[in-house]
Amino acid sequence: MNSQVLSVFDELLRSPRAIAERSRAGGDLRPLFVASLLALVLGAGVFGATLATSRGGLQLLYSGVKLPLSMVATMLLVVPAFHAIAAGLGRPLSFSGMVGLTLAAAGRGALVLVALSPLTWLCFDRGLTYHPGVLLAVACYGLAGVAALDLVLKGVGFDARGFAIVSLFAGVLFVTGGQTAWMLRPFLGRPSAPSVPFFRHRESSFWDAVQQSSLSSFGVYQLSKAAADGEAAVRARAPGPRLENADESR
Amino acid sequence: MEQSFPTMISVPRPSLGARLTSPETHGAAQELARLAVGLGLAALYGLALGARSGGMSLVQHALAASAGLAAVAVLGIPALFVLLALVNAPVSPGAMLSAGARSLASAGFVLAGLAPSAALLAVTIESSDAAAFVTRAGLTLAGGIGLFQLASSVRAMLHDLTPEARLKCNALLFCFSLFAIMLAARVWYSLPILKGAA
Repeated sequence: MNSQVLSVFDELLRSPRAIAERSRAGGDLRPLFVASLLALVLGAGVFGATLATSRGGLQLLYSGVKLPLSMVATMLLVVPAFHAIAAGLGRPLSFSGMVGLTLAAAGRGALVLVALSPLTWLCFDRGLTYHPGVLLAVACYGLAGVAALDLVLKGVGFDARGFAIVSLFAGVLFVTGGQTAWMLRPFLGRPSAPSVPFFRHRESSFWDAVQQSSLSSFGVYQLSKAAADGEAAVRARAPGPRLENADESR
Repeated sequence: MEQSFPTMISVPRPSLGARLTSPETHGAAQELARLAVGLGLAALYGLALGARSGGMSLVQHALAASAGLAAVAVLGIPALFVLLALVNAPVSPGAMLSAGARSLASAGFVLAGLAPSAALLAVTIESSDAAAFVTRAGLTLAGGIGLFQLASSVRAMLHDLTPEARLKCNALLFCFSLFAIMLAARVWYSLPILKGAA
């Protein structure tokens, strides 16, 4: 079993087509499940901890745990949608095959995140600030997502219908994964925060956050209503420098 | 002495998705069962949306999500059959029932597949506009796949027609698609989440 798991690791990187065919064929998928889950947990854990190096301390542990958790939760939520979309568009696969394919894709994506971790760490070490850091993380997720979807595409078929299935699935994955990660934030941690929370309280949504970070990285700041009210009160008492987006955390 | 045991050959049973979306035609009772399963699955999506407010909202959303598909089944499919028959298309009531059941079951199955994601998003997104947008996206995706299935099934029946007759049938199919979209949207817009309910 152990040697099988190790060989699956290698296949995840080198032979996505073989992995896809194995998922489609069914049979004993346990080595694939185990190897993919291991890759997912280790890869996302390493990348999560790397993101937290900008904050350090307890955040390293929290992000190392929460990022794999958010990816596994996302997989659980989107596999039924993937199964249904593929069946609806005329490519029905067994549910276990779908789980295998999705897990393998997520594991492959997580391995790409491991490969991007040193570069990410270097950027933070060289003084990458908070909002560009968020965008760098989003870009890394994007690259990992492309590697993952490549495997999925090989599983459902490399043709127009396969592209349609993967595109629709990617849409569902993007929205669900983004919101799941948003629920489990912070991953980077607010530099000015005196303590590190495991979860932040519920506010706005993932999409609002991406929009805000994009604007902030170009120097355009929008304050939330609560923050704006708070700031107005502070200004009324003692005018001073603006604390833009000081209350947010990704 | 060797003892022989009867071997059990297990034939892999097709998944629920494969059975619901299969192009094979069955008897009327089985097709109606397929349709009913599709409507039941669509209700799961409604339940997921109703989790945003809870209580009676669960029932309201479940009923409205299924009602959109049921309206197309009751009001749209018979009308399409009549119109296609008027232009002498080789369609039978049984084949139309099968095509309709398959397409609505596909849409219902996709809605059920989206239900876990929809539940997460409906419960955790604060903005009612964003929640409504996500709901509309799910309904559009499922409805689009259902319509695609119906159009594929009907067009498969038109292979032997002359190009002129096929053109007429395709035009009818296009008009029906617009009608089905408007009808389903009309019913689905009764979903409280699309009216900005928190």
